[in-house]
Amino acid sequence: MKRYVVAEFAAEAPLLDAARALRADGQTELDLHSPVPLHGSDEALGLKRSIIPRIALVAGLIGAVSGYVMQWYLVGIAWPINVGGRPPHSPPAFIPVTFELGILFAALTIFFGLFKLWGMPRLHHPVFEVEAFRSASVDGLWLSTAVAPEVAEPTAARLRSLGALQVEIVEDAS
Amino acid sequence: MSSKPATAAIALDPLEPVPVLVGRPDDRALTESLVKPLYAPMTRGWKMLVTALAAGMGFWLLSLATTLVVGIGAWGNNIPVAWAFDITTFVWWIGIGHAGTLISAILLLFQQKWRTSINRFAEAMTLFAVAMAGVYPIIHLGRPWFFWWLMPYPSTTQLWPNFKSALPWDVFAISTYATVSFLFWFMGLIPDLATLRDTAPTRLKRTIYGIFAFGWRGSARHWQHYRIGYLLMAGLGTPLVVSVHTIVSFDFAISQLPGWHTTIFPPYFVAGAIFSGFAMVLTLMIPARKVLGIEHVITMKHLDNMAKVVLATGLMVSYGYAMEHFMAWYGGNKYEAFAFLNRWNGPYAAIWYVQLVCNVLVPQLFWFPSMRRNLVVLFVASILVNVGMWIERFTIIAVSLTRDFIPSSWAMYTPTWVDWGLLFGSMCTFGMLFLLFLRFLPVVPIAEVKELRRELDHHDAHAAGQPAHGEGTP
Repeated sequence: MKRYVVAEFAAEAPLLDAARALRADGQTELDLHSPVPLHGSDEALGLKRSIIPRIALVAGLIGAVSGYVMQWYLVGIAWPINVGGRPPHSPPAFIPVTFELGILFAALTIFFGLFKLWGMPRLHHPVFEVEAFRSASVDGLWLSTAVAPEVAEPTAARLRSLGALQVEIVEDAS
Repeated sequence: MSSKPATAAIALDPLEPVPVLVGRPDDRALTESLVKPLYAPMTRGWKMLVTALAAGMGFWLLSLATTLVVGIGAWGNNIPVAWAFDITTFVWWIGIGHAGTLISAILLLFQQKWRTSINRFAEAMTLFAVAMAGVYPIIHLGRPWFFWWLMPYPSTTQLWPNFKSALPWDVFAISTYATVSFLFWFMGLIPDLATLRDTAPTRLKRTIYGIFAFGWRGSARHWQHYRIGYLLMAGLGTPLVVSVHTIVSFDFAISQLPGWHTTIFPPYFVAGAIFSGFAMVLTLMIPARKVLGIEHVITMKHLDNMAKVVLATGLMVSYGYAMEHFMAWYGGNKYEAFAFLNRWNGPYAAIWYVQLVCNVLVPQLFWFPSMRRNLVVLFVASILVNVGMWIERFTIIAVSLTRDFIPSSWAMYTPTWVDWGLLFGSMCTFGMLFLLFLRFLPVVPIAEVKELRRELDHHDAHAAGQPAHGEGTP
């Protein structure tokens, strides 16, 4: 059963420094919590580039291509109707729906893809056990790290030495 | 920029005389000022307004029910005027929605700082306006309970929507627009819902907000994806919003009716949409910022900028009017020329003059800074612009239909009480949805304004020629 060590910092600079120090110690399940995105957090945590743009591109292309093929098949092949002398396969007339479906697929993929990447919905998380952690969405700057039980105390001590205002250890009940 | 002379510190940016954020409240003060209206008890004024709007909503429901029971015959529509109040109001609402997406998506990509505080508000307006708009094409179907025939589903009849017609394009455009607007709006809300979860005074509120926050914990790993995803949504919303009104204008432009059949419609409709949408944001925001006590976040700077957008788009719309007339003359088509002469001296000429005053003359007030900063002028002008834009759509749609090619097929159009009920009732329903939004959700994006404050601090530190010390340090 893992332990979450949760620590509050007074300012962004010591928070990011602490994250860098713990990462140098070899901790891998580090995270920062803040009411706004912090400059430099990606670098401090060593995060790779988000894959969201790539999956959005693929989804958008799938949406557009399938939208076009759908129209081509439905009014060009399955049931051709002569409207105003336009040929059954009329590419200019198919552009609006193709475009809209490309956008729709990309947007739905971004939205649900984000939830997948976030591991949300997850209404309960061990860090919420710390009552003071409520400030993370208001003005608090927090660091959390998941460690093995025997490392929890040394990590807490290390965070205190790095300037944490308060440190708490929570058991991961999940 | 340490090489910058220190005198730069004194010179304020002459283009930004009014701040986008009054004072520099710290994160906690900012949060408290923005969530306060949500936790305060409901005021008498709010309850009275909700009651009044509920009555209007009742009128709307009655008109809808009459339409469903009696059919389209309950309306004033006839042949040749098959499209009248219904489609006019549809186009009007959709157009109003466009300003919200413009503010939230396009101005985000242009990195306009003033967009931050008003984007949630404007996007909520978009959602409710699109919801109102979406009702009209459906009830106009005649048998609205078969609305799903518009979708290409595998039916046993093996008949499919005709994708060479502009009307199925509309179905895809409007439904995509509604979906993407909602997702974008909701994405922006997630961090703020977490803030509400963590600050709400009662357990019930904490639980409800907590459920909709989906467990957001401000994680840096989450923010990383969030920022990119949010930007991409804005990138998708930008061409989308332009495409939607373009496609709406195709409903008219690709037909052959004089007054409809013109290539200027797509840009002219988009400009008109933004024109009326910004006016609607002003109409709603001027009272709301006062009542909610958020004048420090939505400042005169915002109103001033919106008035400038109203002026700019008003000029584009005026250009559209001029160009339509020019083409009617220069094109040499006598039916087209007649359609435009008919606007000036036909049976509906009176409303045409109202339209010109509202859409061409009224925005000219905003050349003057004193007018852009006068709340009464702004408020009245914003309402007039929307009256003018509704009339514009009526002129284009219904007036053009009353007199087409052959005088023997001409007919006048007169709305019935059901038409009026659908129009005013939809405004009340929109107002009702908006009041609920003001009551239960943060009107100003709290997390984004905190970021804005950091940016402004950073900007000031730069301007002062000092190295920006750890951003966000209190």
